[in-house]
Amino acid sequence: MPRYEFRLPDIGEGLAEAEVAKWLVAVGDRVAEDQAVVEMLTDKASVELPAPGAGVVLEQRAAEGDVVKTGSVLYVLESDAQIGVAKPVDETAREQSPKTIGATLPEAAGVLAPPAVRKLARELGLDLSGVKGTGPGGRISTEDVQRHGAGAVARPRVAAAAPGGSRVRLRGVQRRMAETMTLSARTIPHVTGFHELDAGDFAQLVTKLRRTAQERGSRFPFDTLLVRAAALGLRQHPILNASLDEERGEIVMHDDVNVGVATATTDGLIVPVVKKADELALDDLALEVERVTAAAREGKSALTDLQGGTFTISNIGAWRGGLGTSLIRPPEVAIVAFGKIEDRAVVREGRVVVRPVMPMSVTFDHRLIDGEQGLKFALTLRSLIEDPSQLAK
Amino acid sequence: MVAGDQSDPADVLIIGGGPAGYVCALRAAQNGRSVTLIERSRLGGVCLNEGCIPSKQLAAFAAAKAGAERMAAAGMPAFAGAPDMIAFQKGRGATILTLVKGVAALLEAAGVKTVTGNAWFVGRTRLCVEVGEESVRYFDFKDVVIATGSSAAPMEGLPFDDDRVVEPARALEWRFLPETLLVAGDDYVALELAVAYARLGSRVTLVTKSMRLLPDFDPDISAAAQRGAKAIGIDVLLSEDPAARANGAERVIVSAERRPNLDHLQLAAAGIAPAASHLIVDDHLRINRHVFAIGDVTVGLPLAHRAMAQGRVVGDILGGKPAAMDVHAVPRAVFAEPEIAAAGSTEAAARDVGVEVDVGRFPLAALGRAVAQSATSGFAKLVFARQSGILIGAHLAGPRATELIAEMALAIEMGATAEDIALTVHAHPTFAESLMEAAEVALGRPIHVRLPKR
Repeated sequence: MPRYEFRLPDIGEGLAEAEVAKWLVAVGDRVAEDQAVVEMLTDKASVELPAPGAGVVLEQRAAEGDVVKTGSVLYVLESDAQIGVAKPVDETAREQSPKTIGATLPEAAGVLAPPAVRKLARELGLDLSGVKGTGPGGRISTEDVQRHGAGAVARPRVAAAAPGGSRVRLRGVQRRMAETMTLSARTIPHVTGFHELDAGDFAQLVTKLRRTAQERGSRFPFDTLLVRAAALGLRQHPILNASLDEERGEIVMHDDVNVGVATATTDGLIVPVVKKADELALDDLALEVERVTAAAREGKSALTDLQGGTFTISNIGAWRGGLGTSLIRPPEVAIVAFGKIEDRAVVREGRVVVRPVMPMSVTFDHRLIDGEQGLKFALTLRSLIEDPSQLAK
Repeated sequence: MVAGDQSDPADVLIIGGGPAGYVCALRAAQNGRSVTLIERSRLGGVCLNEGCIPSKQLAAFAAAKAGAERMAAAGMPAFAGAPDMIAFQKGRGATILTLVKGVAALLEAAGVKTVTGNAWFVGRTRLCVEVGEESVRYFDFKDVVIATGSSAAPMEGLPFDDDRVVEPARALEWRFLPETLLVAGDDYVALELAVAYARLGSRVTLVTKSMRLLPDFDPDISAAAQRGAKAIGIDVLLSEDPAARANGAERVIVSAERRPNLDHLQLAAAGIAPAASHLIVDDHLRINRHVFAIGDVTVGLPLAHRAMAQGRVVGDILGGKPAAMDVHAVPRAVFAEPEIAAAGSTEAAARDVGVEVDVGRFPLAALGRAVAQSATSGFAKLVFARQSGILIGAHLAGPRATELIAEMALAIEMGATAEDIALTVHAHPTFAESLMEAAEVALGRPIHVRLPKR
C-alpha cells in the first residue's frame, strides 16, 4: 500500500509554524477520511487537521508540544486512497536523502550558524530563522543571537542543576504570550499616562443599554462602549493606530481601526480583535464584541479573529482590578487599560463629592508618539467617556 | 506483597552499555542525575567488543603489511611468511580489555550503577532485569533510555552457521587466515573486511547484488573503492547473488543490514507503539516525555559516533538542558584501500532538494606528498552550494581520509565557504592540502592542476 507524507498545510494567513497540541490517534491506528488526526495550536487558535484519506498512521514525525514549520511532514499515512495533497514517500529517495546519509543541508534549512551559536539559540529559546545574521552570506554569529535575545527575560538557570519540583512545558497560548511580551518589553520604549475619569454617566448608559439588550434577549458586553470610545479616539488621533516599520524606516498608518480586546482565559491572555470597530453600528459592535470574546474564552477563536489588530484595550476593571501599566502588543503602538469603577471622594466646584471614578492608563510607543500626542488621545477618551452620549450614537 | 514485586527506584535508567548508552550515562551523571545502566553482556557494546575497535586493529595490522609491500619497489625488504594471527588475537583481546575496563572505571567514578542482565519492560515506569538464573530485579524509573543497539542480520540464502558462514564480528576473532574468503555485501563493513584479509594474504572475492560498492556514497567514491579493492587482488563481483557464489569458499562473511535489538524489550508493556523496524524519535531523541531512544535502535546510520552524539544530547536533556540532535554532517569513515571518508551531502542529494552546486575535485596524483608516498590513488571532492558558496559535502579517498574528514565536518558545521577553505593555509607536504586545492578548483583557480575545460 502506498505511503503518504502528510505535511503541515498553511492553516491561515501565511503562518510559518504551528505547535502540535495533541495527537488524536496513535501510531498504528486506522483512520477514516476526514477523521481528525492531530490538533495543532496556531497563533492562538487550535485547529484539528483531518486525514486526507482512509488509512493507517505509520509514523508521527512530531511530538506533542513540538513546533512544526509549515510544509514539514507531520505524519506518514499508509493509504490506498487517491490523495491529492499528500505526496507519496519515495522509499529510495528517503534512503538517499541527505538526512539519512547523515546530514541535513544547512542551505535547505535556511539558517547558517555554527554549532555553538545553534546551542546558544536553544538555550535562549530563540528560533534562529528569526535571527538576522550579520556575517558573510547572512551567517549568524554569537553576537547576532545575543543582540536578538538582548533584553529577553533572563531565564532562571535552574535547568543546569538537578531538576527539582515539577516542570510544565511552555506551550500554546502561554508560549505565545511569553514571546509577544518579551518582544514588546525589549523593543518598545513604553510611556504611560494615568487618568481618573468621572464614569457616572458612562455607568448609567451601560446599565441602560444592557437592560435594552436583555429585553431583546441579547447581551451587551461592558467592553462595547470602551471599544467604541477607543475607535472614535483613534479616528481623531491616527498616529496611535499605526505601526513602525523599522527596517524600512517608515510609519505605517492603518486604514482600518481594528481594536483588540484583552481577554483572560484559563490558558492565558488572548486578544481577539474587533475589525473595523469604528464603522460598526452600536448594536453590531456589541454583537461582535460578544462573539469574539466568548469564542476566545472557550478557546475556539478563529485564527482571523486573532490577527490584524491595530490597537488594544484591556479592561482590568472587569476583574475588580485597580490600575496598572500594560505592555503594547507589537506591531501596535498603543494600549489603553481601564480599572474598576469605584466611588471616590472628588472635588467638584470647590466641594468634596462622591462620584464613580474609572481609572485609565494610556500607554504608547515613544518612538512614534510624543507626550503631547499621547496626552491628547487620552483627553479625547476622557471626554468621550465622561460625556458618553457621543458613544451611543 | 509478593517477593518478586520488590523494586528499586531508578532516577534515570539506561538499557544498553554501548557507545550510545555509556556516553549518555556519563553525561546524565555529570548533569547531576542518578543513573543506573543495564548491560546484558559487556560494556562498550558491539563497537568496542566486536565492531569498530577490533576491526580497526585488524585494518591497521593489515595496512602495516600493505604499506611495507608498497615500499618494496623503493627498496624495503619484502615480507617473509604469513602474519601470526594467534599473536594478533592476543593483542586484540588485550586492547578490548583495556578499553572495557576504562569504560567501567569512568562509569564507576561518575557514580553510575551498572547492572548486568537482560531487561524488559513490565509497565510504563517499571523494568525487569534478569540478573541471574531465575532471579530478577525490578526497577521503577523516572526516565528511561533505550540504547540496546543492533545485531547483524543474515542474507537471503546465507544463514549464519557460526563456523563457515559468519557475521562480521566473528571474522574479527579468527586465529587463522582463510585460504579463500568470500565476503557478501556492499557496505563499509564488507569492504573493510575484504580489504584487511586480502592484504593479510587471503584470496578474497567480494560479491554483492548491488551495482556498486558503498552504494549510498558518492559514485566517484564507489569507483575509487572498487579500483582500490581490485588493485590489492580482490575479485569484485557486482550485480551477483552472493549465495550462488558461496560454495567454494573456505570462509564466508556476510554483511547485510543491522536490525535493532527490540524484540525482548516488551515495548508494549511500556505503552510504546511497536515499531516496524527502528524506533522513531524527535530531535530530542524522545519517544514520549520520559522515554528516549538512542543509537542503532533509532532510524539512521548505525554508527558509533552518531550514537555517542545522541547519548550526549539525551544526557544533557536529562539534566534539564535545552539540547537537541542538531547536526548537519555526521562523518563516515571507511578503512579500506584507499581510505574513504564522507561528510554532508552528495552532489546528487543536493540537486534532489533543489540546491545548485559547485564541485571541486582534486586528484592525489597532483599532490607532492601522495607521490612521495607512492599513494596517488584517490581524490578530494568538495561540494559547495552555488549561491552561498558554503561547503555542504566532502567526499575523500586516499591515505588518512578518515582523519581529514574531521576538518570537513567542522567546516560544514561552521558554514565555511570555498574561500574559507582555500584561504586557510594547510601544512606542506600533507594530504590535507588536497582539501585546500579542491576548494580552489571549485573557485576556478587551482594551482597544481589544470582547470577542466568547461
